Amino acid sequence: MSASLDKGVRVLKEVIDAPIASYFNSCVHCGLCAEACLFYTETGDPKYTPIHKLEPLRRIYEQEYTLLGRVKKRLGLSKPVTDAELAEWQELVYNSCTLCGRCSVVCPVGNDIVYMVRKFREGMSASGNAPEGIKGAAQRTITIGSPMGVKLPAVKAQMKHVEDDTGIPIPLDAEGAEYMVMLSSMEIINFPEYLGAIAKIMKQAGKTWTLCSTAFEATNAGMQIGNSDLARVIVSRIVDGAERLKVKTVISPECGHAYTALRWEGANLVGRPFTFEVKHIIEVLGEFQAQGLLKTEGKETDRLTFHDPCQLARRGGVIHQQRSLMNQVAANFVEMPDAGFMNWCCGGGGGASAIEEGEELRLEAFKKKKSQLDAVKPDRLVTACANCRIVLEEGLEHYQMDIPVVGLTEMLAEHIPDTATKSAEQQGA
Amino acid sequence: MTIHNDAEFKAALAGLDTAGQRRAAARFVERVLDLTADGRVKAAVAGALRGELAETDRDGLFQGANTARVESFTQCGRETDWHAQAGHFVAKGAVACVKAPAAGENLAWDAAMHARMARTCQGVASGAGTETREAEAQYTLLNSLLEEQLKA
Amino acid sequence: MTEMQFLTWVRGPGLDIAVALFLLGVLWRLIEIYSLGRKADLSAPRHTPGASGWHTVFRRSVPPPGMVKRSPVSYIGGYTFHIGLAIVVFFFAPHIKLVESVTGLSWPGLPSQFVDFVAVVTMAAMVVVLVDRINKPVKRYLSTFEDWFTWTVTFLPVLTGWLAVQHLLLPYTTMLALHILSVEILLVVLPFTKLFHAFTVFGSRWYNGRVNGHKGVAV
Repeated sequence: MSASLDKGVRVLKEVIDAPIASYFNSCVHCGLCAEACLFYTETGDPKYTPIHKLEPLRRIYEQEYTLLGRVKKRLGLSKPVTDAELAEWQELVYNSCTLCGRCSVVCPVGNDIVYMVRKFREGMSASGNAPEGIKGAAQRTITIGSPMGVKLPAVKAQMKHVEDDTGIPIPLDAEGAEYMVMLSSMEIINFPEYLGAIAKIMKQAGKTWTLCSTAFEATNAGMQIGNSDLARVIVSRIVDGAERLKVKTVISPECGHAYTALRWEGANLVGRPFTFEVKHIIEVLGEFQAQGLLKTEGKETDRLTFHDPCQLARRGGVIHQQRSLMNQVAANFVEMPDAGFMNWCCGGGGGASAIEEGEELRLEAFKKKKSQLDAVKPDRLVTACANCRIVLEEGLEHYQMDIPVVGLTEMLAEHIPDTATKSAEQQGA
Repeated sequence: MTIHNDAEFKAALAGLDTAGQRRAAARFVERVLDLTADGRVKAAVAGALRGELAETDRDGLFQGANTARVESFTQCGRETDWHAQAGHFVAKGAVACVKAPAAGENLAWDAAMHARMARTCQGVASGAGTETREAEAQYTLLNSLLEEQLKA
Repeated sequence: MTEMQFLTWVRGPGLDIAVALFLLGVLWRLIEIYSLGRKADLSAPRHTPGASGWHTVFRRSVPPPGMVKRSPVSYIGGYTFHIGLAIVVFFFAPHIKLVESVTGLSWPGLPSQFVDFVAVVTMAAMVVVLVDRINKPVKRYLSTFEDWFTWTVTFLPVLTGWLAVQHLLLPYTTMLALHILSVEILLVVLPFTKLFHAFTVFGSRWYNGRVNGHKGVAV
């Protein structure tokens, strides 16, 4: 047994708890989890069956935590987990699983399979079996502070760019602000319009907000790779920043896993409850809407549909807000089949889109999303996750589907009357 | 009227007709065209600079530039290659030059902003810092474009 | 050993051993599984009515949207034989008598002709799900010796019981003895195979519902 395999197996033994034991003992091999997983439904390959993705973990559980299993091991009748096996499982645990959680929702005996995959990744990561694409992200998080290598100067450049574009100043390190806005690398790099939209919305709502120079990054590569230590580093930075600036609420951006990492795993990673609230930007916008603080003019008239990011809806519990918001600015909003908490994954979450070797599989799995879109035939597709946006665009491009993809926050901000121009004019005069 | 700031810049661009906006957009993106090697992007900008494009030609150039844009996204979790990201924004700018505008869309303004982002990304990549003079250069460019128009 | 001796043994010592092993096995396994415990969740919960561990314990018996058409045999076959087994086991008069003799509890049974019919339907459903397990790629891929074995030890009690009541195949005494023996085998293996889901399904659904309810998602 190599040193790294040893480490991996040790980690796996540690993560096994009563729920995992209960799940493994409840599985009756009915295969319904496969019917809920887009990697199986679109390829027909049974190896992508979700519970099968956990086979090495199941054997470790049996051999370490059951009497019969331990006896069998003693008698040399059990199959040990090997380096080669874990290497083989890399594709199953990372490339063909986006932690979307649909399997956990359909299992008739109640198995929370996505929870188990998340735990299994801890062992995969510890034994060195995480994909190269995500390993780099993990490394950069430690050395640079951002999984994608985004540093403060880049953020400041974007801030300036957005200030020019909107005419609204972007606060940095403003103590006592009500909201601390987080960004994901994806927004900083690919979608500067998001920050501009936030600025406009906050200005209209009359809320104080700020970016944090030591904690602007929400993307949590630790969560994706399955390395809790790493996930903790990122969350701790955010906690320190939020407490230093004494903000009431930290806003997680339009990024799926960032929300899951901060909102649901964060407190458990740092070992204490947060002293501030964490909300997804869509939750905040939903609140503003309910409080009459989101005043928009006009509506989009083309046929729009909404893609529910898995980590926001099914895994995050934010399901109705996006619909109310869509209805505010869309005259022709139609739901795709299985919309809401049963939505099908874009295929690129959980670090999957960073895995180059997995691209072909992702594009094949995209046929499921394609079928949802074919059923509803929208003019444009709206969503609320920067990674989904890119994955969707790539998939649509691949299948030659002419459906532009838009971010919900940006779309809402576009309908906010442009009072910013007035203040900029005053500047110029 | 000479343009000194973004409010005036944006207003002046909004005042142009679609053809004028495409020309201006193309001139802004032309300034950062060396930040990309993608032929489709260069073709789109060249087409917009020539002006008077037939609908089918413009659509073809749009398809090419859009594919280039989608292909050049930085993937979530990958290391940011700021050079490549600059190219992505050039592609975005090129798309603005040849796309069919939606109601209220200011193609030239979008192109100008994408060109600035491209310049900023390049600054990050080369370590030259993120303060750029791209905005000022764009004002000068627009000023001379408007003067040419007056003279014509 | 004569037929009567065989029958006497399975009714007496055999049953005692089997029930003892069953009870001890269930207790041991429950402890083995649930004593592992779990960490508390320190994240702030969402309070959403209708989303909790208990809700999911019951609600998970309802197929989620879109799933029945993906695998109708799993659901329809599954419901049929589970409900069928429950009816045959708990509402057949001789079974109720047995429970009464041991615990003093009793309840009304269902007409024996109806139970007879249900037994046949149950066996048919079990054969259908077996064939499905052989035919469907995913089920076949996942299946191990244990799946075929547990199917057999579940099927045999229903079959032998039905044969006994019908006075078919073997003399009644033998058939009845075989039936009781097959039940004893089932009892002994239940805690140590996937059949234990009969007990853990409640825990699993509860954990699942709790975690999701914490986030405000009713699963």
